[in-house]
Amino acid sequence: MIPKTIKKTITTLLVTFVLLTSCKSLKTAIYDQHSYEQSISLKVDALDLMSKAHQPYVDHENEINNYLKEFKKLKEYEKNKENNEFSYEMLQLIGDPEKNLLGGFFKRWKTKKTISDFMIKEPKIQVEEAFDILIKYESNKNKEAISKYLNK
Amino acid sequence: MDFNKILEEIKANLLALVNKKFFEYKKEGKKDMEAFIKQSEEKLKRWTKALENKDIDLDDFEWLVKSQKDLLVMNVLYQTGISKIKLGHFKNSVVKTIIKTVSDLVLNKE
Repeated sequence: MIPKTIKKTITTLLVTFVLLTSCKSLKTAIYDQHSYEQSISLKVDALDLMSKAHQPYVDHENEINNYLKEFKKLKEYEKNKENNEFSYEMLQLIGDPEKNLLGGFFKRWKTKKTISDFMIKEPKIQVEEAFDILIKYESNKNKEAISKYLNK
Repeated sequence: MDFNKILEEIKANLLALVNKKFFEYKKEGKKDMEAFIKQSEEKLKRWTKALENKDIDLDDFEWLVKSQKDLLVMNVLYQTGISKIKLGHFKNSVVKTIIKTVSDLVLNKE
């Protein structure tokens, strides 16, 4: 026979347990090596492409389209991962042609044909920072995955 | 060029975003966001100087300021995501504590 005080403690703990485990909004996708490597690769290629914007857009159109295809692949990959809304939102923002990061830069390049040195240099800083945030976020998921293994 | 006005608008838009989409992480997000806005001042000064020197036109300037706004949103997404991860760690610790407490009370009781 379990004493009353212990029964009460167990009940309290179980209620807390149920409340916490049902709190789906706290779940975050675990670290993904593919996402991390792809984000770094896309960052390097993006900055490389942006450096060419003093040349006519049409000269690099194929290169840009191939890049955007790779970008879209990662976006779809992130979209279909569970509890991964922040990484996906970040990628959406970086690639959106209506915003003013990478997608917006490509759109502007296409419209203006060529871009001035200052307007290549400064947006490159912005795009680099945006990718760094995405990459840092992915690597922070790493700690969660590692701590899960260590605490098992 | 009124820097304070631009910064205030950015701050207000971001607060609206945090309130609307990430209400549960509001407190932490706001603190980090303010620190990030402070970091934007240097860029805004550089871009204004380029505008004054006619290295860029108003359209370029506007594009850059908007890019900083987008970067601030990126930062808010990052901070709220990190808060979520931290809360997730806390949740895991609580679950472990519950299991240990129950097992100590039930299985190891005299």
